[in-house]
Amino acid sequence: MKKYVERLWNGLIKENPVLVLMLGMCPALAVSTQAANGIGMGLSTLAVLVLSNLVISILRKVIPDQVRLPAYIVIVASLVTVTELLIKAYLPDLYKNLGIYIPLIVVNCIILGRAEAYANKHTPLLSVMDGIGMGLGFTVALTLAGALRELLGTGKVFGAQILPEGFGMTIFIQPPGAFLIFALIIAIMNAIGIKTRQRKLVESGCDGNCSLCATAANCETKQPAEKAGKAENAEKKEAGAAEEGGAAK
Amino acid sequence: MNGVLNLSSSPHTRDRWTTPYIMRMVVLSLLPATVVGILVHGWQAFGIIALAIVSAVASEWVFDKVCHKPSTIWDGSAVVTGLLLGLSLGPKTPLYLPVIGSVFAIVVCKGCFGGLGKNFINPALAARCFLLISFANAMTIKPSIDAVASATPMGALKAFEQVDITKMFLGTADGVIGSSILALLIGGLLLWSLDIIHGQICFSVLIGFTLLIGLFGGEGFNPRFLLAHLCGGGVVMGAFFMATDYVTSPVSRLGQFIYGCLIGVLGGIFRLWGNTADSFSYAIIIGNVCTPLIDTYIVQKPLAYRKIGRTRRVKREPFRIPKPVIALTIIAVIAGLALSGVFFVTKDTIEEQAMLEAAAAYTSVIPGAKSLKIAEETADLLGDDGIDQGSAHINACYVGKDGDGKVLGYALSITAKGFGGNIVMALGLTPEGEVVDIAFTEISETAGLGMKATEPAFKDQFAGKSGTLTLVKGAASADNEISAISGASVTSNAVTGAVNAGLEFFRTVLKGGN
Amino acid sequence: MKSLIMIIIAGALINNVVLNQFLGICSFLGVSKQMKASASLGAAVIFVITIASAVASLLYDYVLKPLGMDFMKTIIFILVIAALVQIVEMFLKKKSPSVYKALGIYLPLITTNCAVLGVALTNVQEGYNFAECVASGFGTAVGYTVAIVLLAGIRSRINEKDLPAPLRGAPIVMIAAALMSIAFMGFGGLQL
Repeated sequence: MKKYVERLWNGLIKENPVLVLMLGMCPALAVSTQAANGIGMGLSTLAVLVLSNLVISILRKVIPDQVRLPAYIVIVASLVTVTELLIKAYLPDLYKNLGIYIPLIVVNCIILGRAEAYANKHTPLLSVMDGIGMGLGFTVALTLAGALRELLGTGKVFGAQILPEGFGMTIFIQPPGAFLIFALIIAIMNAIGIKTRQRKLVESGCDGNCSLCATAANCETKQPAEKAGKAENAEKKEAGAAEEGGAAK
Repeated sequence: MNGVLNLSSSPHTRDRWTTPYIMRMVVLSLLPATVVGILVHGWQAFGIIALAIVSAVASEWVFDKVCHKPSTIWDGSAVVTGLLLGLSLGPKTPLYLPVIGSVFAIVVCKGCFGGLGKNFINPALAARCFLLISFANAMTIKPSIDAVASATPMGALKAFEQVDITKMFLGTADGVIGSSILALLIGGLLLWSLDIIHGQICFSVLIGFTLLIGLFGGEGFNPRFLLAHLCGGGVVMGAFFMATDYVTSPVSRLGQFIYGCLIGVLGGIFRLWGNTADSFSYAIIIGNVCTPLIDTYIVQKPLAYRKIGRTRRVKREPFRIPKPVIALTIIAVIAGLALSGVFFVTKDTIEEQAMLEAAAAYTSVIPGAKSLKIAEETADLLGDDGIDQGSAHINACYVGKDGDGKVLGYALSITAKGFGGNIVMALGLTPEGEVVDIAFTEISETAGLGMKATEPAFKDQFAGKSGTLTLVKGAASADNEISAISGASVTSNAVTGAVNAGLEFFRTVLKGGN
Repeated sequence: MKSLIMIIIAGALINNVVLNQFLGICSFLGVSKQMKASASLGAAVIFVITIASAVASLLYDYVLKPLGMDFMKTIIFILVIAALVQIVEMFLKKKSPSVYKALGIYLPLITTNCAVLGVALTNVQEGYNFAECVASGFGTAVGYTVAIVLLAGIRSRINEKDLPAPLRGAPIVMIAAALMSIAFMGFGGLQL
């Protein structure tokens, strides 16, 4: 049970797909013009992500390794198109609100990223939990960014006027604003991360100031970028070993 | 011995060229333009410049403190940024704009990248463009001198009207605070003579700009025309004070020529054909963006540089179809079959939905219509694809009748090209050819700007109109005028053009045919 | 002819695929660390997108639309793109192993690059004919290359040690992209 809940926490905070893994930036930047869009896109992506993780996890022993990327794309594209057709036909009101986001899910790197990094190596149930976790993380990130952009750009949040009319800085609902808001959110998360690590260091007996520390190079706690880089390298090695093992057969 | 020993490596030379010295000289050279600007435009101009400078210095001080760095406000660069930003704003700009602009310039453009010397974009100009995009309305130059004239010199120039060059030269025409060409030239030439700015940059900017305007401006190399363009829109200010910033311009001489010409040419292109509020600022920051690239590739060849010889060819392997391709094909076929299945199951339902939606749009523009059918009189002419009319495309024409069979009106489906794609709308007309209402079936313009077309404030203007409508900025005064959405001229043009096309279609085909 | 040139310029500068349409961001942020990799990726993308646009246009106009199989376009387009990327990969492996190595994982990732699929789908949506599809694809790809190369240049100037700690890594790249995006808005509404 614990490992299923861990998947949720992982997708939401620790390895948030947009803010930490930097996947799915394309739709995140494009769609986050309003908070409501964030929820719509996030939930649609969650649905497709769960389904795709499930299908790919079930088929993981069947798909040959060299064509796994195109195979995943075909599967995901089919799932998205099926979802779009079904919603268009049987839930027309929902389609009116979400409709334009659904085709955008095809080009969402998160789905392929998680298929490649998780679903093709783990059991279906774990993959489904991972999908839910990542989907929730995506939704939260998008809604937060959307709310900020809507607030600064028009003074509204979810359509409700919070700041006085005429306040809006329209740059925030346009492309430069998207980059700026996400930079801000990621920077804040980084800052919190650094402070948390520094506090842990202080608790373990160091003053947290890396630049003056003689043993900084061998320090156990490193920046998130390097940690992600290490994790990437480890995964690449794993994938490489799997490929070699497959080729040797 | 007292004091700290100064440790440095040879050569030991001292020069009066320090950052504070350069900044002092720049401020000095901008003084004439500042003084003229304040004299001509009044106390508010002074307030704007003062606020810009104070905000710039304050934000740099705060940022340095937050980042635990030694304070850099004494090198004078924040003062210069604030002054340049202030001079490039209009005299009637609301006072919170220079504050927000300065903060953006110092914190985002400079501070985030590491401070002086580490930024790649000119902070004052980037802030100006930031303000232009964020506060489009507040940043438009409102006439403060010629209260009677309706357009600023640049607006008049675009419309090929005559402009008073002398006024622009002296700085007494409408424009930004620092628009006295004479004062700017005095300052600029002073900096050039002191060798603080490079002639390669400022003169190649001016020459590039002049050549482009001369070749493509439509009036050849008419001196009056060229001078008018040169004296307006921040060209001189940009050429001498913005483009020449050391940090954001290339290092090599050839690079600087290329950079200058690029800015001049781009500025000319934007001035003649662009649609943004300020052509030259964007040209310069685009030049800034290209500077690192120019610096990477335009370097002097190192000593003893030689080209490396080519590698030998490798023997080729025979070609075989990889096995996994077969597996991929099978997966694709299965997926395709599954998709086809779902498609055929849902096809009819989807088509029904689409028709209901379109019908909803058409009935909304002909209130009270009980039946909606394709209008027979135009069915042959429009066929399946519709016809082009004016700047839009008429897709279909429906006639709406009430319960007794009386014609209540016509609904036209019209497509026009908007800013973000096609705009498809339903136009409702009375049997006499007056607009009842418009409804949008497809519109994907910029949120907050073009999308305002769907709001009653814009949409309802068309109700009751007939004849040919013209778009105006500001309030509509005559019966056939439509007030454009500020900041969304392309969308406003598209919608108005579509309505005009519908009205024209009614006059020539429907009414004429009947 | 003039409208084709306008389509190319619109695709490259006015509606820049990365800075305006937000397609292809993942590789844009990832590869722009090195100038050479960026230029090579850009060249590969130009090749793949232009030919993919051409092939997709032909397939759509002469196979999918007449047969009423519009819903299959996503899958078909992706398969075309995957095949093209495979060809480019084989070509680079033989002709220029250093570039192949420099691109590393980003070459097969062109298959999943939102920009490639996005431009093929946009061409269908805009109803372009064959020449217009090719022009649009080419323009989009040129825009992508311009954006990624310019960002690579800017990133080569950024020294992480100078930056405030929270901004190191992704945030400063996004701020640089924001400023680039502001600059490119100068092309907005350009009508030659």
